[in-house]
Amino acid sequence: MKRRRFVQKLLAAPAIPLVAAAAQEAPKPPLAPPPGNPTAQRTPQQGQAAPRLDTVAADVACEPDRSYFTPEQFAALEKLGDILVPPLKGRPGARDAHAPEFLDFLLSVSPADRQGLYRHGLNGLNAEAKKKFHRLFSELDSQEADEILRPLFVARPWDQDYPADPVKKFVAQVHEDLRSATMNSREWAESLAGDRQRGRGFGRGAAYYWKPIDPVVRS
Amino acid sequence: MPIKEYDVLIVGSGHSGGMAANRLTASGISCLMLNAGPEADYEKDRTLKHAYELPYRGFKQPGRLPHVFQANEFNANQWVDEKEVPYTHPEDAPYNWVRVRLLGGRSLFWARQSFRLSDFEFKAADIDGTGENWPISLADLAPFYSRVEEIFRVTGRKEGWPQFPDGNFVETTFPPDTETIKKFTEVATKRGIGVSKWRNALGQNGLASSINLLLPDALETGKLDIVENAIVREISVDKNTGLASGAHFVDRHSLREMHVKAKVVVLAAGTLESTRLLLNSKLANSSGVMGRYLVDQMYGVSVVASVPEARDGKARPGLMGGSAFIPRFRNLTKDDKRNFIKGYCVSIGSGGGASPNLFPLYGAELQAKLDSYEGSCVSGGIFGERVARFENHVRINKDVKDAYGIPVLHIEARDTDNERNLRRDAADTIEGLFKEAGWEIVGKTDEVNPPGYSIHEVGTCRMGNDPKKSVLNKWCQSHDIKNLFVVDGASFVTAGWQNPTMTILALSMRASEYLAEQIKQRNI
Ligand SMILES: Cc1cc2nc3c(=O)[nH]c(=O)nc-3n(C[C@H](O)[C@H](O)[C@H](O)COP(=O)(O)OP(=O)(O)OC[C@H]3O[C@@H](n4cnc5c(N)ncnc54)[C@H](O)[C@@H]3O)c2cc1C
Repeated sequence: MKRRRFVQKLLAAPAIPLVAAAAQEAPKPPLAPPPGNPTAQRTPQQGQAAPRLDTVAADVACEPDRSYFTPEQFAALEKLGDILVPPLKGRPGARDAHAPEFLDFLLSVSPADRQGLYRHGLNGLNAEAKKKFHRLFSELDSQEADEILRPLFVARPWDQDYPADPVKKFVAQVHEDLRSATMNSREWAESLAGDRQRGRGFGRGAAYYWKPIDPVVRS
Repeated sequence: MPIKEYDVLIVGSGHSGGMAANRLTASGISCLMLNAGPEADYEKDRTLKHAYELPYRGFKQPGRLPHVFQANEFNANQWVDEKEVPYTHPEDAPYNWVRVRLLGGRSLFWARQSFRLSDFEFKAADIDGTGENWPISLADLAPFYSRVEEIFRVTGRKEGWPQFPDGNFVETTFPPDTETIKKFTEVATKRGIGVSKWRNALGQNGLASSINLLLPDALETGKLDIVENAIVREISVDKNTGLASGAHFVDRHSLREMHVKAKVVVLAAGTLESTRLLLNSKLANSSGVMGRYLVDQMYGVSVVASVPEARDGKARPGLMGGSAFIPRFRNLTKDDKRNFIKGYCVSIGSGGGASPNLFPLYGAELQAKLDSYEGSCVSGGIFGERVARFENHVRINKDVKDAYGIPVLHIEARDTDNERNLRRDAADTIEGLFKEAGWEIVGKTDEVNPPGYSIHEVGTCRMGNDPKKSVLNKWCQSHDIKNLFVVDGASFVTAGWQNPTMTILALSMRASEYLAEQIKQRNI
């Protein structure tokens, strides 16, 4: 604060004496550009004059770049998606919803402790698969994967209460995240709405989103 | 030279500030309201979206708002950004401080549960044998509660129970109880536990806020000016008289520093922001208890049961659905001897499904379980009273400043055995009732969210008759500086198990009318 006040003081102090400044003062630009000025910005008075066009989300049209997990970690995450959140009852599974790719992005921007939980957890699953079956977790069949996963699941009557064991905690977290990433996906919403229409048609599952309200812009 | 001179400066525009403006302007007193944030435009600032259309697919931006468990990506922009206005707490004692700086404050979003405190809270020291009584009783506040309930259009069922004072309710017809709610009521009543209904503020058009119920009338008088984006950093004092003379504030956008003069200052910045402002101004703390006795409620304890005859698609409307509400029933008489003082209320909901977290399963097996339990569950949770303790406090952390250079709060609140014993009793009691009803327990925990989570933080400038033990008198007026009032939840002596807003509104109404009278009589 003090520093900022100091800077403000500097700015407030005129660099040249006021009288001289007045003499040098350039003529003020006119408030509005003169009519017919070819460089003046022109914009319609009425907002409705500009039509709203349909756009699509980037991941409808484009492949995300994966950047965060190693190929082995990512393969384990995809495998977890297949096992924990498979397609059921006409709803997409984690892989259909591109949940692993989304989590790859989410984890790339997550705090260090969450990143550590994931990396340690995925590496732990791979290590356990190698120890038990001499293969990567992604290469196990569902029975083998179940043998590793089942003992890692615990009931959690209190949502905030994660197991202390880091691999069990990871399994609880990744299960929750894969479910949410799947159920929040476009594919899921479309399966609910029963129509594959894109764009601005709001089916079920939409909610009010608050945009930044009168945000402060600081350079 | 300021363009206008005001009688009263009001800091904050939520329920408490809105009520102060409403009552003061009704008496012809000119007011300036400064509010830290902007006005939200419900048309322009809010839009329908699917989670997948948001940058983080409905997960909020990682690391953002770590203490606001209520935040998600849809509503993240409505809360105060913790990076912009941070606070600190000991590592082993997390505190969730949930704030809104928009015009209208938290009144834009509150859940509208509306209860009166009873003399079990106002005169708690007499019942608990410890702590302090309030300097007022229910009889003092009852006429104000009645008027607030009328403005906010509160619904409720009258019971005539002293721990659950009836209000001035709008006519309500409650739908008939479903079989599960009837069964639960029967089991609880047999144990002497009274079962009632929720009490809710209907407001108008789905909004029960200062911006629609209190401020429009105040503006209509022509006696109120509101300045948005005005962040008050300090109360100013007249050196000659020692009285409050106005406030220094900073414009949120330009960071321009400003000052406003007023004959009276009314703080309504939402409990802890009012206290922070006073502590930063180094004012009104001759008692030394400013910042002390921070208290709120425990939200949590969860017991989930499944009604066997409603499983596997057999949950019909007459069987499942509906809710029940049990007001405090513990420690109401001297011979109710428990290993804790105070009490809790229980909220019962019927007809939901089970959370996937309750089962150590995944994939198709989990889905089959969820399908089987869908619609068959009854859940119970509590709002439990915490004890107002000297040790639980806020103070200024000089080492950390917010984006406006204002020193932040350090918040320190811990539970003790009283809280832990209370919630164990709650979990066991709800479990016992569910079992007696013949239901299968699917999940039970006596865990609660961190302090502050309830968004009902009160205390830290408590009221009292003794200036050595309290910051405010019974009119929410500073003992030390007679033209300084604090009309939000900071004046609370005890929290009760009740949601606080009806009491905040009634206290603000009472204090503001007292202030108007004092101004008229030229006592202030
Ligand atoms: C999601 C949610 C659900 C809730 N449910 C319930 C419920 O069911 N029942 C119930 O009783 N209560 C409930 N509450 C709590 C209730 O909203 C609050 O008790 C009540 O609104 C507090 O009003 P207030 O005026 O004291 O404070 P606030 O609403 O917090 O208003 C404070 C105002 O002060 C302004 N301010 C702060 N600092 C400064 C500063 N330095 N300078 C200028 N202005 C400042 C802010 O901009 C804000 O507008 C809920 C709250 C939330 C968020």
